[in-house]
Amino acid sequence: MQPVRPLLKAIGAFPRSAVFTICAFVLLGLLAPYIAPHDPNAQDLLVAGQGPTLAHPFGVDHLGRDTLSRLIVAARTSLVGVCLVLVCAHAIGIAIGTIAGYRRGWTDELLMRIVDVGQAIPSLIVSLAVIGIAGVSYWNMILALALAWWPGSARISRAVAVNTMNKPHMEALRVLGASPVRIYFVHLLPTTIGAVLVYATADAGAVALAIATLSFLGLGIQPPTPEWGQMLVDALPYLESDPRQVILPGLTLTLAVIGFNILGEAVALTEFRSR
Amino acid sequence: MFAFIAKRARNAVLLLFLASVLCFALVVSAPGNVAILIAELRTPTATKADIAKVEEELGLNKPLLERYGFWLNGAIHGDFGISYKTGEAVGASLKSRLAVTATLVAGGAVVAFLLSLFVGFVGALWAHRAPDVVTRGSALLGASTPSFFVGALLVYAFSVTWHVFPTFGFAGPVSWVLPWLTLGFLPAAVLSRVVRVGFEEAMAKPYVLTAMSKGLSRTSILVRDAIPNIAPTYLNALGTQIGTMVVGAVVVEPLFAWQGIGDLFLTGVRFRDFMVVQACLLVFITFFIILNVVVDICITLTDPRLRLQRS
Repeated sequence: MQPVRPLLKAIGAFPRSAVFTICAFVLLGLLAPYIAPHDPNAQDLLVAGQGPTLAHPFGVDHLGRDTLSRLIVAARTSLVGVCLVLVCAHAIGIAIGTIAGYRRGWTDELLMRIVDVGQAIPSLIVSLAVIGIAGVSYWNMILALALAWWPGSARISRAVAVNTMNKPHMEALRVLGASPVRIYFVHLLPTTIGAVLVYATADAGAVALAIATLSFLGLGIQPPTPEWGQMLVDALPYLESDPRQVILPGLTLTLAVIGFNILGEAVALTEFRSR
Repeated sequence: MFAFIAKRARNAVLLLFLASVLCFALVVSAPGNVAILIAELRTPTATKADIAKVEEELGLNKPLLERYGFWLNGAIHGDFGISYKTGEAVGASLKSRLAVTATLVAGGAVVAFLLSLFVGFVGALWAHRAPDVVTRGSALLGASTPSFFVGALLVYAFSVTWHVFPTFGFAGPVSWVLPWLTLGFLPAAVLSRVVRVGFEEAMAKPYVLTAMSKGLSRTSILVRDAIPNIAPTYLNALGTQIGTMVVGAVVVEPLFAWQGIGDLFLTGVRFRDFMVVQACLLVFITFFIILNVVVDICITLTDPRLRLQRS
């Protein structure tokens, strides 16, 4: 439970509007298969391009798929993607950051220079380059985004680890004869993970946007899996006859990103104050 | 001052070297044999002898260090090898597409600059009143809206509904307006907040009280006293945003069917054309490194305190 405590404490201090948006997003993602009124991939070409009706409150797209169901299921696609990317990126970041913060010296110097180079290149460029080398697929997208996001996590983890290692109880542990393995795994790692979890929530919006952008470019989530960016680009050729199919996924995505961005600002502010 | 510039330039060259190693390593570590790919591009029924010939020709059978030197020498002279997909020289396609991306980013930067100053000024002049609330709300909205959605909305409003601008294409200033607006919108939103917050802080300083007691108007204080104070912060943010816009070109160019470097990069990524990906990556990173140095020098020039400290 130790790593989760700072996250729960932080959620209590977040702005209500952001927490509400995020909760709606997470609930939508978790319950998507149960609350979506139709099969998101069921096509009905007879009603294709139809406006809102009682059966299809948000209308249907050019293949006659129910837009509301697709928007709801897309929340799940996005949620799963964001979680996978954040877990992978922070796993790499925390490992590198805590090793740098624990060892210090030249290990720290070397690892942090690598992080510097990683942070100097914008995340979209990094992820595009990785996809360009590895090829287009779902797992390559997750890998590419994780490789783009780990340097930020490593920097924060290192700061937290250095801070923790300087605390008196670490000195006491060493005097008591605790082995380095024990100090690292039992005392340093859980504390760092706890602190970094809070930052992870601030990153979620940017990751969600990156997934949508890659999918928009045709390099992320592949059709027919519903995803907001991919739904938008799918409907773009029909902008003139049916603008609703472009605007609805765009609005949903924007709403989710606004929620996460407000959250991110709150995290930055509270962390700034507590320093 | 010169010592400062020299130091920054030295660091930039070091970073450029690291970046070139990174780009080279990326392609070397890529799965699949490059020589087979090129040989099959030339003749679909390539034999072992053909592949060996390609290896010999491109120096692929030489040691890594020699290959790196060969590649770097070519890259410095604008030779990035040939595309596996089209067989064209990558350097030549980069050169021909540079103007398109430059037009896009320069226009986007002007839009971001003008829009952010206007919105920031409106907010500062009517602080905490209706115009301020409206502009700040739209800035928050603008900073969170994905650029491809902004572009789609602009196309719907200005091309589909009102027929003012063309939907896509790169044909004269009329077709440039929508991509510029699309690209400049998000940076404008971010920068307007920098202006607004900067003015708020600057107007709370004691010298503003002095200026007011001398009978100067709020507008002239904003222009004469507050602008020099927010200039370094603003330039820093503008530099970051120009970087964001170059990345944004990757999204905006395909949206409007512009054949720029962003589009080239994307095509390279889509077809796993390593040479194109490598060349574009190097061009992007070089641009970011140079941009950083230029921004640093500009900040030092506009901030007398830093100028003194760094010279």
